[in-house]
Amino acid sequence: MNISDWRQRMDEIDKKLVELLNERCKCALEIGHIKHESNIPLYQPTREKEVLANAEENNRGPLSHGAIRRLFERIIDEARSAERIAMYGESSITDEEESK
Amino acid sequence: MVIVMHEDATDEQIQHVIDRVVASGFDVHRSTGASHTVIGAVGVHRDFDHRDFELLEGVREVIRITQPFKLASRQFKPQGTIVDFGRGVTIGGNEITVAAGPCSVESPEQINAVAECVAKAGAKILRAGAFKPRTSPYAFQGLGEKGLQMMRQAADKHKLFVVSEVMDPSQIQMMGNYVDMFQVGARNMQNYFLLRALGETQKPVLLKRGMSATIEELLLSAEYILAGGNYNVVLCERGIRTFETYLRNTLDIAAIPVIKKLSHLPIVADPSHGTGRRDKVPPMARAAVAAGADGLLIEVHNDPDHALSDGAQSLTPGEFSQLMGELRIIAPAVNRHLS
Repeated sequence: MNISDWRQRMDEIDKKLVELLNERCKCALEIGHIKHESNIPLYQPTREKEVLANAEENNRGPLSHGAIRRLFERIIDEARSAERIAMYGESSITDEEESK
Repeated sequence: MVIVMHEDATDEQIQHVIDRVVASGFDVHRSTGASHTVIGAVGVHRDFDHRDFELLEGVREVIRITQPFKLASRQFKPQGTIVDFGRGVTIGGNEITVAAGPCSVESPEQINAVAECVAKAGAKILRAGAFKPRTSPYAFQGLGEKGLQMMRQAADKHKLFVVSEVMDPSQIQMMGNYVDMFQVGARNMQNYFLLRALGETQKPVLLKRGMSATIEELLLSAEYILAGGNYNVVLCERGIRTFETYLRNTLDIAAIPVIKKLSHLPIVADPSHGTGRRDKVPPMARAAVAAGADGLLIEVHNDPDHALSDGAQSLTPGEFSQLMGELRIIAPAVNRHLS
């Protein structure tokens, strides 16, 4: 395979990743609603630790555990943000990177 | 806001910080580095004190990203503010606008003589004090409303605008009859009660930097005026106190480009108070224009040796005229104009 073949393969994977990430986000939104109704705090450090541990356990490489951890930290950050919106509302999923 | 955790911060400490960041309404961007965990707090909260996070256990450093001033920030008005006095006189445009005059109004003859010579040399605004905040209560305190009347008459005669210092909110209405721009002196820069009152007027305000104020504090003071709805604010660098005592103050020339970058408000320099000595005024005036100042505030007296206040830092009419000639040469070098 040449570079463009590999890139095409990557594009296909990215498409699936986006679909899967959105599936995951939908779960987070549902959890947000339940947390809101049941008065459960947004931030659940034990659960986040569990997600990271699961990711590392499932990791067979070549990505290092550290790399998987950093990627999942971002996924968790975005899920937490989605849950917050489900709990407290906001116009859309935030895109405020510039206003840090 | 970015929170950098200590190298040996525990999981519990990191969790506690995230907990507090989430509770404050921010989104979290957690990043585990090779040695340090960095927690980004994403979102904008105006009434937020980042120092609260510096005190949490395991935190090494907290870096604030957004400025505490909003209306005064350059982002609010990227093109820059131009304060318009009418008759083609502005501060903040391409033209460098010079306000000149004596420290205090002393008599109709004195203010008229000074107005005549500064107008002839190219100044557009007459500056003088009628209420003088003197360090000593026994020093000359100014002529009050009578002084303002003399100043207005002299300015009108020579087609100048008038700027004079306001000391107290109770003077605003009366002074509004005589002045085209209120000056807030260095000693009053953090008189928030006065700043709020000026925010409710629409007349331009010349806000001088306090002698111990940081640039951020100056911009926060401007924010008070802007927040009241008055957008005609001109900032003024007039020297700060440093360990150097040779001159009266240290004129912070670097503040000019710094403020130009941070804020959309025009900035002028006052080399007279900035140095306190006549012979040092022209070099600092030239430097300020070269550094990008939108204008200057210069003390000129027809008879400096007999001035009732600040004679030592006042230029003679001849010195002022010569300086204006030099500034006309410097201005085009920095893409500005001085008519």
